[in-house]
Amino acid sequence: MVLPGKVGDSLVDTQDMHKRLQKELTALMKDPPTGVKVDAESIYKNLSEWIVDLDGAPGTLYAGESLQLLFKFGSRYPFDSPQVMFVGPNIPVHPHVYSNGHICLSILTEDWSPALSVQAVCLSIVSMLSSCTEKKRPPDNAFYIKTCSKNPKKTRWWYHDDNV
Amino acid sequence: MGNCFKTPSTDDITLLHDNDSQDGTQQAAPVPVGPPPPYQERAPVYYPSPNVSRPANMLTEDEQIKIAQRLGLISHLPTGVYDGCSKRGKECAICMCEFVMGEALRYLPCMHVYHKDCIDDWLMRSFTCPSCCEPVDAALLTTYETN
Repeated sequence: MVLPGKVGDSLVDTQDMHKRLQKELTALMKDPPTGVKVDAESIYKNLSEWIVDLDGAPGTLYAGESLQLLFKFGSRYPFDSPQVMFVGPNIPVHPHVYSNGHICLSILTEDWSPALSVQAVCLSIVSMLSSCTEKKRPPDNAFYIKTCSKNPKKTRWWYHDDNV
Repeated sequence: MGNCFKTPSTDDITLLHDNDSQDGTQQAAPVPVGPPPPYQERAPVYYPSPNVSRPANMLTEDEQIKIAQRLGLISHLPTGVYDGCSKRGKECAICMCEFVMGEALRYLPCMHVYHKDCIDDWLMRSFTCPSCCEPVDAALLTTYETN
């Protein structure tokens, strides 16, 4: 039950995580917020990795764009935040989104709370995109994508700009 | 070192019953053959800060002090049992499950309420309310001052 080197990742944790993800999925299917779509069938096959389709909000720089987010949940979810990044052919051009899909957003690491959910994260990301006034990559994009880990949670993010 | 990490359980009678019945079954079971499992694999895991987890026997002295202080603070937060009255909410925002009659709850000074097990697990990582993000120690001080 306890994997070597990963003391504490017990079966109980995984069951709790599945139970909560199941509840979130049911709620999202029943009452999805506008512009947020999940493919329940693919998620049922593997509850710990979700692809969520987002639509850029009308009246913003991302209107009409189709975007995809990848969520990866560890066995300690919701106590640990999920890994969240943009995937697919359209990585939005935004000052907080690197061209490899990594997102600089504080609720995904240090400001995470277990009361947040997939839905809350999606809405925060849509809102982050919607308040953008100029489509551009982060200034350190070229350096970051060469040096970063595959897991955006391993990055020591420096949250410097709350306005965009 | 081990003893100072145990949560005080003086007023929790259900826990005592659990221990009793476990002792009973252990006595009835056959004596296990072979050496006992290594201590390290059984050490409880603590979260000295968010995203840092370590078994109890690998904590630094500062982390041990921080954890002991945190356990003490958590034990001062009021607990209760869900009696079907939903004045302060009827769902735990952490596991997203509705409260069931008889479940152990913990009340935070900001008036948010959670399952005791759910919130205690979180408070060991971050001493903030998951719903309103209010630091629990600051809110505790305010309640002391007003009372």
